[in-house]
Amino acid sequence: MAPQWWRRFAVRGVFWRQYLDFGVTNVPFYLLPVTIFFWTIFFFFVAAPARRAVLANLRIIRPGASRLTNYFRTFLTLHNFAWTIADAADHKLAGTEFAYEVEGEEFLTQLGRAHGAILLTAHMGNYDLGAAIFAQRFDRPIRMVRVPEADEQTAAHLDASLERSGGGAVKVAYNTSSMALPLELLAAIRTGEIVSIQGDRPVAHASQRETRLFQQVVRLPDGPFMLGFVAEAPIFPLFIVRTSYHRYRVIARPPIHCRREEGDRNVVIAEAMERWSQTLEEVITTYWAQWFSFVPIFPRAKG
Amino acid sequence: MRRQEGYAFALSRLVARLGGRQVRRAEWSALETYGVGLLVFGISCVCAGRVLPLFVRATVLRVLLFGALPVLLWVTFLLLYYLVSLFIRLLRRFGLYSAPTNDPVQHLFFVWLTTVLSLLLVAKGSVWLQWLGGLWLGPLILNLISIPIERLLDQDLR
Repeated sequence: MAPQWWRRFAVRGVFWRQYLDFGVTNVPFYLLPVTIFFWTIFFFFVAAPARRAVLANLRIIRPGASRLTNYFRTFLTLHNFAWTIADAADHKLAGTEFAYEVEGEEFLTQLGRAHGAILLTAHMGNYDLGAAIFAQRFDRPIRMVRVPEADEQTAAHLDASLERSGGGAVKVAYNTSSMALPLELLAAIRTGEIVSIQGDRPVAHASQRETRLFQQVVRLPDGPFMLGFVAEAPIFPLFIVRTSYHRYRVIARPPIHCRREEGDRNVVIAEAMERWSQTLEEVITTYWAQWFSFVPIFPRAKG
Repeated sequence: MRRQEGYAFALSRLVARLGGRQVRRAEWSALETYGVGLLVFGISCVCAGRVLPLFVRATVLRVLLFGALPVLLWVTFLLLYYLVSLFIRLLRRFGLYSAPTNDPVQHLFFVWLTTVLSLLLVAKGSVWLQWLGGLWLGPLILNLISIPIERLLDQDLR
């Protein structure tokens, strides 16, 4: 195992997060594009597993494209990722404002008014910034469920960042094998809180089931739907994508309901997951360059 | 849905206001950001490219260094950010600077650096290099003039 000091410099190590904070507080805004461009080239070569995963996913999302084209698309995806984490750090440390427009305003308003709801999102666009903006706009606390970071120091840094950027309104909960989390989330929803979950990637030891995405059988987490079923809370698909420099689009889609009276639990959840995967597919088709799924999702891509 | 407009520089805001548009001070313009960024980086690249042959004689090495120049300059900029941040740390220690972020001082440094390089291009460069220098100096002067004009306009509105 690599020594502790060396792990800081791994791709997911805390050093790069701290360096990002240094960058956004020191680099004049007009030099950020040049800086981010060259750092993307650096990480394109260094972060090989992430690059391979994006490439593998792109083969399914954009079939028929040449290998070179997909390499370019992978670079574009990593470049967008660099921008989104830089923007989130900029918001946290410098209080930089971002312009955003809303697609599906009525669904966002419904979510803002809901007494207990699930905000279902994906590893897409700037989900961290989105949670902070949502919490501030509707003056409501939000509990964000995340996959634990591999590096403890990075996890602590990210937790602090999220809670700071959300002005204390964003609380982080980790998706582990513990049975305490579902009960904690259920209690939070019942007291009227909004719980944000990423539903585009299965997590080891967490409940999941098969559904279809881009004509492929994939495994996606079914936890959000079971939670929606038990708590009888609506599930709102919501994404925040980068449209231009310091500009974002919040995409809110119609809520998905998992109602007990609609039949057997398994059938209701399977139908809800189908609706979610359709929504996810539509958004990924348009914003494929902002789907930051750095693990292969599709079985064919894994092989 | 109306697009919100925001510019970081007084010149851009003044031009937009004279065009009858409502603007605010914000870093939301891609044109402004990418335009200024490319100009700052481009002028530094051109100046470094002009100095390079004075120190490197071997043709192969020259070609290699010319190819790698943008990357070398990026690394140099990273080093400059760090050195300026050390200077800012010193200012903070003596209570001479208290802003939450360092980029205002870094901005002054890079504007100063690009202005010096542009003046050199205008004084000693070929015609197109003089144009390149002018491309920085012209808007810079106009931006400095725009600052008091914008303040006057703001006072009138109050």
